[in-house]
Amino acid sequence: MFHVLAKSSGPLAPHSGYVDLLEKPKNKKDLKDLLIPVQVYSADPQTRLGITAGICILIKNMPETKGDRYEAIYSFHLGDYGQISVQGAYVTTEDTYLSVTGGTGVFAGAYGQVKLQQLVFPFKVFYTFYLQGLSADMPAELLVTPVPPSPAVEASPAAKAAEPRATSPNYSD
Amino acid sequence: MAAASASLQSFPSNLKLSRTTGVTTASASSFLSFKNSINPVFCKKLAANVNVSGSRKTFLVKNQVNPSDASRPTKVHQLCVYEINERDRGSPAYLRLGQKPVNSLGDLVPFTNKVNSLILILDFSFFVYDNKDLKVLPNLVQVYSADLQTRLGITAGICILIKNMPETKGDRYEAIYSFHLGDYGQISVQGAYVTTEDTYLSVTGGTGVFAGAYGQVKLQQLVFPFKLFYTFYLQGLSADLPSELLVTPVPPSPAVEASPAAKATEPGSTGPNFSD
Repeated sequence: MFHVLAKSSGPLAPHSGYVDLLEKPKNKKDLKDLLIPVQVYSADPQTRLGITAGICILIKNMPETKGDRYEAIYSFHLGDYGQISVQGAYVTTEDTYLSVTGGTGVFAGAYGQVKLQQLVFPFKVFYTFYLQGLSADMPAELLVTPVPPSPAVEASPAAKAAEPRATSPNYSD
Repeated sequence: MAAASASLQSFPSNLKLSRTTGVTTASASSFLSFKNSINPVFCKKLAANVNVSGSRKTFLVKNQVNPSDASRPTKVHQLCVYEINERDRGSPAYLRLGQKPVNSLGDLVPFTNKVNSLILILDFSFFVYDNKDLKVLPNLVQVYSADLQTRLGITAGICILIKNMPETKGDRYEAIYSFHLGDYGQISVQGAYVTTEDTYLSVTGGTGVFAGAYGQVKLQQLVFPFKLFYTFYLQGLSADLPSELLVTPVPPSPAVEASPAAKATEPGSTGPNFSD
């Protein structure tokens, strides 16, 4: 299991969130939500990891809850670590689970699900991945103690500025 | 309609899964085989025999499993759902971005329909369909259980037009969408949708009871483009599908309709927190 924080700079842009990576072999009890903003940060969130990229297809507007249901198909690009592809429902007013459809790099062979938690719609999302099928444990750099998700979470200034010490190798941009 | 239903005789009506080390096929059978090999340490074969009104269609699933990946279950679970467009969701939204008078590459079609599901468990004995009388009801976009008594949820996704085929009066789409089945979770699929024939799509993943799912799903059109019948062949599930999803299927035909209670989403006729 790992967590990612995503922060977006625009409405319904790909998510940005802090990524907290804790691999769990099986069941998913802790759910850390990830938002899908444009930039992806580690879950502390001290390190800029990469970006999300994809599309949200509006399925239904729900005026009674002032929310929308989207079908989201996108990937998390995490620099040299690889990428994770996901597909599933994004409902602006509640947490949802998406399918992990695949991965590359350290995430090659990945399957499982990811929980999406919105902290600030639509700018901050917290993700918790429940990944199976990985050939090895995730790198230690990705396993960080998460900052508890809340609307006030902000990436560190160094990570936002993408300073060398606050970014992952060849972070996606 | 009569001509259409006469042509729809070839639907799976009997399902049997037997774990065998060899597969026996009838001489007139068509054989579908796919292999998933990682490291050939040991080989487990699952055979599903689908009796299609006289012709036998056999699916052979061969899994060669690496011990380090042996935790991924390989049992094949079969799940059938009806997807029905009841024309009350503004779906589909045909975006003619190709800007041509005929369907052309560049057109996108977001869609969402309702789902009724039918679930068959492969390791049961043969199911025998009795010919129930089917009511004729307007088409709806919902997912219902396979006996059409329970509204389960919706589909949601997009079809990308790939090719218009005027000679067959059909189109080829690439479809990427998910089945949202309320509290049970969702199943994500991707693959070809050809309006004039049955196709198979890949199951790319799932959540909830379908977490870890992989496999394929067969798409059969009953009434283009309003009623579709899906047969999922799911592997990788951590447990058997819930018993409340096991229902005796209504044989697929163009005349199938959801029960009035399911359409009205009355409390006894819906899955838990059914997606809408």
